[in-house]
Amino acid sequence: MGALKDLGKTLRLIGLYFKVNLASAMEYRGSFWLQAFGMALSNGSFVFFWWIAFQQIGGSIGGYDFKDVMFIWAVTSSAFGAANIFFANMNGITRIIINGELDTFLLQPKDVLISLLCAKTSLGAWGDLGYGVILMALTQGPSKMAWGMFIAGVIVGGLLMTAVAVTAHSLTFYFGDAALIGGMVQEFVLNFSLYPVGIYRGFVRVLMYTVIPAFFMVHLPLKLVRDFSWSGLIALLGVCIVYCSFAYWFFYRGLKKYESGNLVITRI
Amino acid sequence: MRSVRKYGTVLRISLENAFAYRSTAVGGLLFYSLFIFVFFNLWRAIYQGGEVAGYSLTQMVWYLCITELIVFACRSSVFAQMNEDVKSGNISYQLNRPYHYVLYQFFNALGGMTFNLFLYGALAIVLGLVMVGPIPGFRLHNLPFILLSGVLGMVINFFLLMTLGLTAFRLEENTAFYFLYQKLVFMLGMFIPVEFLPPWLQGIARWLPFSYVAWAPGRLFVAFSWDFFWQVIPVQLAWAGVAVSLAFVMYNFGIRGLQAHGG
Repeated sequence: MGALKDLGKTLRLIGLYFKVNLASAMEYRGSFWLQAFGMALSNGSFVFFWWIAFQQIGGSIGGYDFKDVMFIWAVTSSAFGAANIFFANMNGITRIIINGELDTFLLQPKDVLISLLCAKTSLGAWGDLGYGVILMALTQGPSKMAWGMFIAGVIVGGLLMTAVAVTAHSLTFYFGDAALIGGMVQEFVLNFSLYPVGIYRGFVRVLMYTVIPAFFMVHLPLKLVRDFSWSGLIALLGVCIVYCSFAYWFFYRGLKKYESGNLVITRI
Repeated sequence: MRSVRKYGTVLRISLENAFAYRSTAVGGLLFYSLFIFVFFNLWRAIYQGGEVAGYSLTQMVWYLCITELIVFACRSSVFAQMNEDVKSGNISYQLNRPYHYVLYQFFNALGGMTFNLFLYGALAIVLGLVMVGPIPGFRLHNLPFILLSGVLGMVINFFLLMTLGLTAFRLEENTAFYFLYQKLVFMLGMFIPVEFLPPWLQGIARWLPFSYVAWAPGRLFVAFSWDFFWQVIPVQLAWAGVAVSLAFVMYNFGIRGLQAHGG
């Protein structure tokens, strides 16, 4: 009961941050729409790449046909968008720790990690989120299973992307500047999610099931669309809970090593 | 002569800067390797046998190594720098300095681009050899001509980006142009050779500058022929001329409307 109450409080806090961030973004409507449009356009160009690739060979690539590839692109794009709308600071954790800007969050009476992650939003991320929805509508039709797994993939994928970033950037507490590792990990997440799982072999496959759980972000939801099973859905949710809990624990364990730089800053 | 020495000094300083920021270079090398690795896996899955549009798997992987090399080597902050200089008003501080702004920006970026070309070039050769081995029929004595095409591609790319950046003189928000340009370069040559495109689009792509940034040198590297060389070099020279002229015209046009108010 207590855990549920805590979860409710956390969700309320995330909701409040979201409202404030959205209101702030809407102050610059022109910039907001332009960035969102630019991002959607940028993603859209890859549909062209895949169209050409499938035209050249026909059939399937790495076990996926064109529709499957569009599904993983839609889930990855929207999950990335959702993560960066709600938790845009996930990619700035290293910078915030190194600059000593974490002090501001430590003084707040709410969960430090949640406040830190939610304190910023990305305007372009709305383009990613919208692009995924449009791609789904254009390529998957009204299939309830496809849309259900899309929503599950966006939520799980978004949370896992955030958890991976938090874990990677938390290495800064332990070993110093981890910005490069954080950036690389994000690239790995995207590249393992955006291409058919069948093109990878050996060690990369192991990575996709463990440290960089791209398989659970997009490929398992696709598998469930093709052949639904409750055990698959439970595995999807289980991995998400375990990884997010680990990231949370790893951040707070590292936080104990943090030393304030007595930096005085103002957050408006 | 003094002018040559002046821009030579700018080039030397930018080259020294490129050597000084080694961690940025290491990060870039890792990203470059990741991209090549992912696309190697993808094209290996696509090529279940034989050739696609006249390219073998070996040629395709080397093609990607070269086109990515050009795009990575071309990486400069010129678009962002133009935007920043124009929007912040910093450009007014550069007007009374003893150099031409456009040429200064070019030579300032040239050091980094030269450094990148050698750095990523070495990595491209290692990755290509490890993944698919040498290109059948490759002749080392063709390399200077391929390099010429690569340099022209970089010049076209740099000055087109500069032109887009300088639109900030007239437009408040010009990032959409950058996204559009970047994707056109990616899709009309960097990721996919022009020969892979549908015939109608090939016709259009061969008239536009975007394919001449990466496709022309990439194709020359994997399947050199004098016919193709004499076909693309004049077009690259023409587009390089157009891109440089556009940058100067855009700068002169923009600077005419500039108002500086002390500070």
